[in-house]
Amino acid sequence: MAKENNQAISQKPAGAMKHILSFVFMIAFTAAAFFVVISDKVPSGWVVPLLLIFAVIQVILQLFTFMHLDQKGSAFYTIFIVFGIFVAVISAVGILLM
Amino acid sequence: MANKVESSTEMPNHLETATFEGKNKVLGFWLFLGAETVLFACLFGTYLALRNQSLGGPTTHELFDLKLVALATALLLTSSLTSVLAMIKMNQRSMKGMVTWLVITLLLGLGFLVLEIYEFQHYVHEGHTFMSSAFGSSFYALVGTHGAHVTFGIIWITTIMSQAIRRGINTDTAPKLFVSSLYWHFIDVVWVFIFTLVYLLGKVG
Repeated sequence: MAKENNQAISQKPAGAMKHILSFVFMIAFTAAAFFVVISDKVPSGWVVPLLLIFAVIQVILQLFTFMHLDQKGSAFYTIFIVFGIFVAVISAVGILLM
Repeated sequence: MANKVESSTEMPNHLETATFEGKNKVLGFWLFLGAETVLFACLFGTYLALRNQSLGGPTTHELFDLKLVALATALLLTSSLTSVLAMIKMNQRSMKGMVTWLVITLLLGLGFLVLEIYEFQHYVHEGHTFMSSAFGSSFYALVGTHGAHVTFGIIWITTIMSQAIRRGINTDTAPKLFVSSLYWHFIDVVWVFIFTLVYLLGKVG
């Protein structure tokens, strides 16, 4: 147990770095999404799938780094939010196709 | 489960889940976020279904200004980072560091809100209002609900921060601060989808 604690302490400075790195990635994906829309180089059939992929990657980064779902003991949090997303997708697609 | 609680009270690396009450607060808040996800999904579904029904008014393509949206996105994304940095400072028991980052977070959030109010005002002058068309109704319902969340988040973080300044960082205030930070990240997650599915998709066609 003591070993684990020491590890957790020594990881603290790396924690801020991890978040900043995640932030840089999120900014990069945001910029990429803007680029895909603004430039004419991307084939029109690819635009919407690419935008969705970029958004999903950003959300995963946000959930697992900023909202700490990568930490130990967050299994229940993950279950709740994943179930929420499951119902959310059904609702959104359901309304869209109605 | 019980073992985990003990080990974290011995060495509270994460002050917000150091007590059983704190753990429950965070757990309950994730349940709330799951419900919020469904709320926003319904508004997204409605918007996407109705976004082309502009009834002769300005369409998405004519209306949206990507420069303004890019600036708003940058503000909100940065505020999400400063919010997480505030939580790191909180777990290092640094009141000064935490308050500094939280104040920056609040200022960025306020900047976002000012941009959004300016944007809405501009749209209303262009003839795009809540009542003008189905597109208008669904747009303001979705983006307005997000804006209301940002407003509430600013008020919430301000009050929780002032309470922490008076009472200090302890196992009582830490879960509240942490949960408000989760809420702020969630607002950012929703914004990622708004700028993708509303603004960028509106420019695509």
